[in-house]
Amino acid sequence: MSEATAKRHMGLKTSRAITNTAIHVLLIVISIIWLIPFVCIVLQSFRMESTGQVGYVVPKVWGTGNYVKLFETDFPRWYTNTFIAALATAVLQTIIVLCMSYTLSRFRFKMRQPLMRFMLILGMFPGMLTMIILYRVLKDLGLTQTNAVPGLILVYVASSGMGYYVSKGFFDTIPMSLDEAARVDGATRAKILYKIILPLSKPIVIYTVLTAFMGPWGDYVFARYIAFGTSAGKNVAVGLYDWLNKDQISSYYTMFCAGGVLVALPVTILFLFLQKYYVEGVTGGAVKG
Amino acid sequence: MASVKLTDVKKVYDNKVTAVHDFNLEIKDKEFVVFVGPSGCGKSTTLRMIAGLEDISGGTLEIDGEVVNDLQPKDRDIAMVFQNYALYPHMTVYDNIAFSLRLKKVPEDEVYDRVTNAAKILGITEYLTRKPRALSGGQRQRVAIGRAMVRNAKVFLMDEPLSNLDAKLRNQMRAEIILLRQKLDTTFIYVTHDQTEAMTLGDRIVIMKDGFIEQVGTPQEVFDTPVNLFVAGFIGSPQMNFLKANLVKGGSSYYVELLDVKLPLNDEQNAVLAQKGVGSQEIILGVRPEHTTVLFDNAEGAIECTIDVNEMMGSELHLHLRSKNDDKIIVRLPTVDLSKEQRASLSYGNKMYITFPAKVMHLFDPETEKSLIDG
Repeated sequence: MSEATAKRHMGLKTSRAITNTAIHVLLIVISIIWLIPFVCIVLQSFRMESTGQVGYVVPKVWGTGNYVKLFETDFPRWYTNTFIAALATAVLQTIIVLCMSYTLSRFRFKMRQPLMRFMLILGMFPGMLTMIILYRVLKDLGLTQTNAVPGLILVYVASSGMGYYVSKGFFDTIPMSLDEAARVDGATRAKILYKIILPLSKPIVIYTVLTAFMGPWGDYVFARYIAFGTSAGKNVAVGLYDWLNKDQISSYYTMFCAGGVLVALPVTILFLFLQKYYVEGVTGGAVKG
Repeated sequence: MASVKLTDVKKVYDNKVTAVHDFNLEIKDKEFVVFVGPSGCGKSTTLRMIAGLEDISGGTLEIDGEVVNDLQPKDRDIAMVFQNYALYPHMTVYDNIAFSLRLKKVPEDEVYDRVTNAAKILGITEYLTRKPRALSGGQRQRVAIGRAMVRNAKVFLMDEPLSNLDAKLRNQMRAEIILLRQKLDTTFIYVTHDQTEAMTLGDRIVIMKDGFIEQVGTPQEVFDTPVNLFVAGFIGSPQMNFLKANLVKGGSSYYVELLDVKLPLNDEQNAVLAQKGVGSQEIILGVRPEHTTVLFDNAEGAIECTIDVNEMMGSELHLHLRSKNDDKIIVRLPTVDLSKEQRASLSYGNKMYITFPAKVMHLFDPETEKSLIDG
């Protein structure tokens, strides 16, 4: 290497190092800003000297009392409600979405295109529009207030077939000849889906489960409407939020923070383990499809 | 092991395009039949209809005497090898081959025996625990064949199984398919666009074009007596030379007039033409490159040409010649008998003379494109 080339290479190295450092500094700053609210909530949840809102972040007296006290309220009930709704929705919605996607990806039938277009347009209307009529229907069925959980599951699962886009896009990238080979080998359509397509679509299955779980887990609007003030029918979001109204905030604020941490915990753990698949799922369908 | 019979089988797609017109063919038990033709000729569609992967729009398909038009692929007892192998990527080679047996709930001991036996025949025993992506193209193709083999199906279908392989591997696998066929001793239907594969593998060849069968016959038959211009041009490599000429009837016999040269026909050809009542007319004369006699000096009945291109193929030369009429003619000339001087004279612009005996001449009607003698 001549001296001039060596110099040029050095220049390249330094400029790359500078860019990298700048990018990392920026990313660190952004993540600090982003993490501050979470850190605050975690810290507040361990504050023992008072229960209301205070002007500082780091507790003076540390303790887990807020967590213990949570279990003396309706919180466990709300948590169970949310968990059952989210789990049932995750299971049912995943089954429906995957079957729907496989059908739209592999079968050619009359009205297939119009159906897909119809669902696309239907999906553009905000779900809130249906709230009043849904409430009436559920009330007539007796699925509100204390029976809010089955009512919510029904609402969450009912339209889930319309969320076929990402997984259909993914299935489209799996060669049709695999299905054909399996059919010749003696497999039924259900077996093909279960034994060939799904094992090849792990990221998309996990993505579908996660999104199906997350919807009910964090839902507030529908859950509040359907629980309609009945404590036994609330989910965590509704229950915890009610602690923040004027009369209660001074005695429940730190418990609200503790509840928030407990709500975030399972989702955080899920994402930590499954984030690889989640990212693959989001990009997989888009890029290849 | 079974016969396959197609009667007026038709494929019309939803957009009214007819891919296969009235396909009639009877495939005997243990026969090896090759469907060959250019892309879009309907050969794969026909195969997929036999497999049950495409609906049959009309006609009947019988396997072993039973009409199977409306049966699912799994109920037809067929095995199929796909062009892109279609191996299940998430399963090991062993599981790929065992898949169909397990679906049939064959006991695991027997699955093991059949899979290992197939692997032994195909020479893939050491790869049984690998996933398909860790295999080369040739190995994957063997696995695909193995998957079809263990089924002991009535009919073995192959859809362009070698076209994803490189040339050398293709030749090797072709030979292996011939060997495999002897071992399996079952009915084979093989689709290819490659006429060499068709010629070397098939007991009978079905040549297709635009959804129609052009000719069915043994490799020798379709090579020696093509019934029309398409078959004549499709079978054989380099392809047959086609020259505009005149057929002249002189008394009881005929001759072909090409440029200024008169080429007499033999008794057999004369008899067929006379019986069909053919008169003097324009024709397209077909002569295969390997049937042309090359002369270095002018002679009676020889056609003068100039050399355009001389391709050295090793054991033979492919000479691209041009006649006085600007007709292009390719001839194959074995190199072994050529002297040094003769080789040296075979360069661009030099004169050559060619002639052909009556028995290698194919006469086609320019209007109908059909052979005047065969078919």
